[in-house]
Amino acid sequence: MDHSRLLGLWFFSLALAGAQALTPSHHLSLSDVARLQSLLSQPFTDLESAYYSVVGLTKLGAVIPDQNEVCHFLKSELDPASVDSLFFAVETSQAISGCEIPVSNETRDILLAAVSEDSTMGQIHRAVSALGSLGLPLASQEVIGALTARIEKEDNVMAITSALLAASRLSQQAELGGILEEIEDLTARLDDLGGMYLQFEEGLEATAMFVTAAYSLSDHVGVEPPLKEDQVIQLVNSIFSKKSWDSLAEAFSVASAAAALSSNQFHVPVVVRTHGPATVSHSQPTLQLLVTDVMSQPLTSANVLVESANAASSKSSILSQAPFTLNDGIFEFNFMSSQPASGYYQFTIAVTGDKRLVANQVELKVKVSTEVAVTNMDLSVVDKDQSIGTKTTRVDYPSKAKSSFVADSHQYFAMAFQLVDVNTGVELTPHQTFVRLHNQKTGQEVVFVAEPDSKNLYKFELDTAERKSEFDTISGTYSLCLIVGDATLENPILWNVADVVLKFVDEEAPATIQPKTLYVPKPEIQHLFREPEKKPPTVVSNAFTALVLFPFLLLLILWFKLGANISNFRLSPSTVLFHVGHAAMLGLMYVYWTHLDMFQTLKYLAIIGGVTFLAGNRMLAQKAVKRIASEQSSRLAKYRSLR
Amino acid sequence: MSNSVISVISRFLEEYTSTTPTKLKVVDSYLLYILLTGALQFLYCLLVGTFPFNSFLSGFISCVGSFILAVCLRIQINPQNKGDFLSISPERAFADFLFAHTVLHLVVMNFIG
Repeated sequence: MDHSRLLGLWFFSLALAGAQALTPSHHLSLSDVARLQSLLSQPFTDLESAYYSVVGLTKLGAVIPDQNEVCHFLKSELDPASVDSLFFAVETSQAISGCEIPVSNETRDILLAAVSEDSTMGQIHRAVSALGSLGLPLASQEVIGALTARIEKEDNVMAITSALLAASRLSQQAELGGILEEIEDLTARLDDLGGMYLQFEEGLEATAMFVTAAYSLSDHVGVEPPLKEDQVIQLVNSIFSKKSWDSLAEAFSVASAAAALSSNQFHVPVVVRTHGPATVSHSQPTLQLLVTDVMSQPLTSANVLVESANAASSKSSILSQAPFTLNDGIFEFNFMSSQPASGYYQFTIAVTGDKRLVANQVELKVKVSTEVAVTNMDLSVVDKDQSIGTKTTRVDYPSKAKSSFVADSHQYFAMAFQLVDVNTGVELTPHQTFVRLHNQKTGQEVVFVAEPDSKNLYKFELDTAERKSEFDTISGTYSLCLIVGDATLENPILWNVADVVLKFVDEEAPATIQPKTLYVPKPEIQHLFREPEKKPPTVVSNAFTALVLFPFLLLLILWFKLGANISNFRLSPSTVLFHVGHAAMLGLMYVYWTHLDMFQTLKYLAIIGGVTFLAGNRMLAQKAVKRIASEQSSRLAKYRSLR
Repeated sequence: MSNSVISVISRFLEEYTSTTPTKLKVVDSYLLYILLTGALQFLYCLLVGTFPFNSFLSGFISCVGSFILAVCLRIQINPQNKGDFLSISPERAFADFLFAHTVLHLVVMNFIG
């Protein structure tokens, strides 16, 4: 049983994995990128905001305006004694051209001194980055020693991310393996939210900076980061699901992650979506796809292929291995050339051409829509006994029949038509095909479903006698409408075909609803007590009372006959007390029945019972003594007489 | 056949009247009284209906309980059973009988409603 359950679980998880081939559900759309740029383009107030703005914009591929002014701002704000200030100024100056930050020997010593076990991880990272950007010599092995020692002390996500970033600035010849392993350790700390998102509980910034650091170190070393394809997609989802950013630092981190995920040596997530709705028809025969990276930049070098296209209803394959053609950044595919019937199709699309691509297998539901036409619309009124030959009237869409049809209770009204695809001439059976009869006077509507027969010929017959209840037996002129609709139809039809005069036999005046009666108070609800059970006649119960008492009389008679007596009764205090106690107990029972509750009764019973017990004990003991004495004396007498 | 039955019964009655002590006859007549009372209550229940059912129950339980207690008393004070109840004197048996009755009727009164 355990085995079968395990097997079932395995199949279930397999089915689940098959069902959700994970694809990125969030990315930065072009408008998101623009908003991110405008957030980063805010005028900066200090070196830190300048760093976030300028470097962030560079990551997004934007142009930095007024570069000279920025350079001037950096030089004026620089504090040569602060590692942070140096880092922000130097890194920002690297992002703009023709700006060099002058450094003195003291500054260099400050930066080198910061690279030690005693500084925090952030300080080491900033000092290493500044030294690297300034092109100053650095002992990589010493830095690795400091970083390794700090990781022991600062075991949090931000610190280790800083260590990864610092390590990516070191010489490639240094032993970076130990630091590289931290990527895997951090990956294990990511929280999985419903299989969709993967993130650190520290927040978006930590997650985004981790992705940036992991890919920059991996690129630097040339080793693929230990992230599975699904994990990359889940990270993409969690980083780009937030569309409004709280701070400049957060916006910077998202921009960095977007840059890292769209240009690294190992994993480039692909975002595939349709350009406009996923619908093709004869007027719009091509399926248009946008294949981009996470920043909505088209991946023009990729090859896009339809691996298979199956009809959603029949699962039959309609084509396979058909390539898309690139046209102005949009991948196009003429699906109508394979002449699909209208309906839904499940596409499996593969994006190839670069081994870095992640999430390059995409499932897509495509709708093929068409236009419908009503043909061979024949209307007739048929006598039930068929004595008169039927006269058929043909009506063409969208005109209305010239004369109205009259059907009384001995006739029925018949309607036959076909629905065909305008483009292919194939007969169609849309989801919704209704015949509506609308009373022009009362406004009443009666709707019937028209069903196709095996040859896809729709027939609708209205038996006037049988259906009169649905019309509330109201005779009159009804306008007859045909309604045809389906999700795959481009031209839903509402066609007033003809006017029909229906005559019902026993026409009754329609019951007029009086709105007044709706607001009349409801009858008062009377509480109903439980009805007493039927009692027997008094005579019967009295007779039985007498009958039940009768055995007592019998008992007295029997006792009298047997000669029971009270001659043994001695008038001693204990005897009297005993009998009085008993009588009192009997009385107490009666009072309990009529007045008292159990607790009171038990209290009184304890008092009376105690007294009675003592008295009874004494009385019976006396009796026992007397009896034993008499037994002994009789035995003695017997013994004597024997002798 | 019927003769033998009659003779058995007459023989039984004869033996009973001659050998049974008067004390036991008194208890026996008490037993008969209770038996008849219980039977009449049951008859009422069958003929008329169970309506106040708790009263019927308490009355019937009272009869059954009293009958059982009286039978116990009779067994204990029978001289023929003296060997079995050496430690229990007739007075002790009577006191037990009374005590048990008190408890029984407390329950009965509680039930009577």
